[in-house]
Amino acid sequence: MGEFRLDPITARWVIISNEKSLGPKDYKVENPDIRGEVCPFCEGNEKLTPPEVDADRPTGTEPDTPGWITRTVPNKYPILENESNLDKAGRGIFDMMNGVGQHEVIIESPDHNKQLADLSIEQIIKVINVYKKRSIELSRDERFKYVLIFKNYGLSAGASLEHSHTQLISLPIVPKRVMEEFKCVQDYYAYKERCILCDIVRQEDEYRHREVFDNKDFIAFCPFASRSPFEISIIPRKHKAYFTDITDSEIESFAKILKDTLTRIKKVLGNPPYNFIIHNNSVNGENIECYHWHVELMPKLSKIAGFEWGTGFYINPTPPELASRYLREVK
Amino acid sequence: MPELRKDPIIKRWVIIATERAKRPNDFKPSAPQFTKEEPCPFCEKKGKSNFTEILTRKENNTQPDKPGWKVKVVTGDSPVLHSEGDLDKKPHGIYDMMDGIGAHEIVIETPEHIASMDSLKPEQIEEVLGVYKERILDLERDERFKYVLVFKNHKTAAGSSSVMHSRSQLIALPACPKNVKGELEGAKRYYDYKDRCVYCDMLAQEEKEKKRVILDAGGFVAIAPFASRFPFETWILPRKHAAYFSKISSKEIKGLAKMLKEILTRRNNLLSDVAYNYILHTAPFRRPKPGYWSTIDCDYHWHIEIIPRLTQVAGFEWGTGFYINPMPPEDAAKFLREGKE
Repeated sequence: MGEFRLDPITARWVIISNEKSLGPKDYKVENPDIRGEVCPFCEGNEKLTPPEVDADRPTGTEPDTPGWITRTVPNKYPILENESNLDKAGRGIFDMMNGVGQHEVIIESPDHNKQLADLSIEQIIKVINVYKKRSIELSRDERFKYVLIFKNYGLSAGASLEHSHTQLISLPIVPKRVMEEFKCVQDYYAYKERCILCDIVRQEDEYRHREVFDNKDFIAFCPFASRSPFEISIIPRKHKAYFTDITDSEIESFAKILKDTLTRIKKVLGNPPYNFIIHNNSVNGENIECYHWHVELMPKLSKIAGFEWGTGFYINPTPPELASRYLREVK
Repeated sequence: MPELRKDPIIKRWVIIATERAKRPNDFKPSAPQFTKEEPCPFCEKKGKSNFTEILTRKENNTQPDKPGWKVKVVTGDSPVLHSEGDLDKKPHGIYDMMDGIGAHEIVIETPEHIASMDSLKPEQIEEVLGVYKERILDLERDERFKYVLVFKNHKTAAGSSSVMHSRSQLIALPACPKNVKGELEGAKRYYDYKDRCVYCDMLAQEEKEKKRVILDAGGFVAIAPFASRFPFETWILPRKHAAYFSKISSKEIKGLAKMLKEILTRRNNLLSDVAYNYILHTAPFRRPKPGYWSTIDCDYHWHIEIIPRLTQVAGFEWGTGFYINPMPPEDAAKFLREGKE
C-alpha cells in the first residue's frame, strides 16, 4: 500500500511507495558529463565570457585575466535582459510585459575538474559569500522582486557546461512557486503563531529517521513528502527570513553541510545529475517576515511524465525514511 | 527582448525567449529512446497476460483474454495505488497523510504492435476516446474518487517504459489535483468578474487574431497557447462550452479523433516523432461538501494539452514555477499549420 503525504509548505500531495521501494541501485543514473570544446569558464579563457561583474582575485590583477578564485559573469545567453522598462500591457484577454531581469553565472572555481562537492570547505565558503554578495547587489534594483539562486549539475538536470557553476537571476515578479510557499507559511503562522519551518526542524530533530546530517546551524534531511527519490532539504536551525542575513559563522556551517550532503549523494548514487535551489525571501516590498529561507536539493533520477504534468502531484518510489538511511549510513 | 507572458487561467508567467532557437530542427531530442525487443505484453498475439482485464471493446463474439479485441483496458502495474480500503486520513506530527487509495488503468489502444497513436485509423481513435468516457463514468461511481486523470506518455523521454505499443493511462485519485485546482480557481475568478468562460473568451480572441490557431475543424480548435510553457505546446479545445469530457457526444468524438490524429501526425512530421505527453483536462467529480462551488459547469471548459518534450525542466523552473520557452507560440502555430519544416 502506498501513502499520500501532504507537503505542508506547498500543499502538494506526494504518493510514496513503501511496498516495492527502490534503492539506489534501482535507478539508472545518467552520466552528468558534458564534453564541450573549449571551456569558457576555465582559467585563461576569461575573454570567452562577457566581462566579469565580480571576482575574488588578488589585488593587482586585472579583471578578466587569470589568477581568480571565483568569478561572476553575466550569462552569455540570458533568459532575461537587464535593459528598458517592464512596459506592462494587455493584448485582449492576455497580459504581458518585457522580459526584464539580470542573469548571472558564478564560476565556483578555476579548476575544470572539480565539482562543488570536490571543492575545499574554504572554497565553498568563498562561493557562498559570492551568493550573498551578488544577491544583495541584484536586489538593489527596485524593479526586481526576487533573486533566485540555483544550480543545474549535469545535462539532464539542465546544465549546458560541465565546469562547476551556479546561476543567479533577478525577476520583476515573485515566482508562483514562492508565492505558494509564502501562502502556506503565512496561513500556518496565522493559525499557530509559529513558523512552520521551525516546527519542521523541531520535529525532524525529535524523530531523526529522515535525517541525513546536521551541525550546529543547519539540519539536512529527506523531507516527509519528498517529490523525488533522495530529495534533501537543508534548513537553518535559527529562524531567519532572509538568506542574505547569513553570518560568517553560519556560512562556514552551511559550506560544511553542503559539501557533506553532496558527497553523500555522490557516494550513494554514483554522481547523479542534480538541481539545487535556494528558497529565499522576496525583496523590495514583497517580502514576508515569517518566512524561513532553506535549500532544496534534488538528484535527477526519475522522469516527469503525464501524471505529474496533469496533477502537480508526484509519485516517489523511494520513501524518504529509506533514502535518508542510505545517505546517513554511507561511509 | 524576451517577453513575459501570463497564462490567463492559472496566473503562471512564461518567458518567451525570442532570441534563442527558432526552427524545429534547432531542438535536439532531450534523451535517447530505450527500446526493448522482448515480447510485447500489450500485443494480441501474446498468449498469457499478467494484467487483469477491466474492459474490452471487441469484434463480435470474442471471449475475454482471447484475440479479436479492438481496445482493451487492463489494471496498471502501479505499486502505489490500491483500490481496496478507505483513505484513513491521519497526522504524523505536524504532517498529514492518507493511504494510497486509487486506481491505475492502462488503455491499450490497438491489438497490433503500433508505436504511435497517429498511425491508428480515426475509427480506432474514436474507440479509444469512447473508452476514456466509459471508464471515467464508471470510476465516478466510486465515492472515494475525486478525479480521474487521463494521460499519455509517448517514448521513454516522456516517462514511458521502453515498450513501444500505443497506450494511454487513467489514474483515479482521492484528492483533486493541485494543477486542476489552480485551473478551476483561475477560471472561476474570471467567471465571477466577467460572467463568461475564460476558455470561450480565449477561443474567440484566437479566432479573431488567427496567428496562434493551428487547425479549426469538426467542432474543435487546436491552438498554440499565448503563454506556452514549451516549444510546440498545443491545446485542443471543444468549440462548444462543456466542463466535463465525459459528456462528449458520439459526433464530437468523431471530430476529436480526427483532430487528434491530424495534430499528432503534424507533430511527428515536423519534429521527427519527438517524445510527448498529452493530458486530458476535465472538471473533477461532483462531490458536494461545504464550500463547494456550483458554477463549475459555467466556468470550466475541458480540453487536451499536448506537450512535446524538447526542453529540460531545471533549477529555474523548479525554483519559480515559471517556464522558459525558446519558441514563440505564433511561430510554432505557423509551423504546425503548414505541417512541415
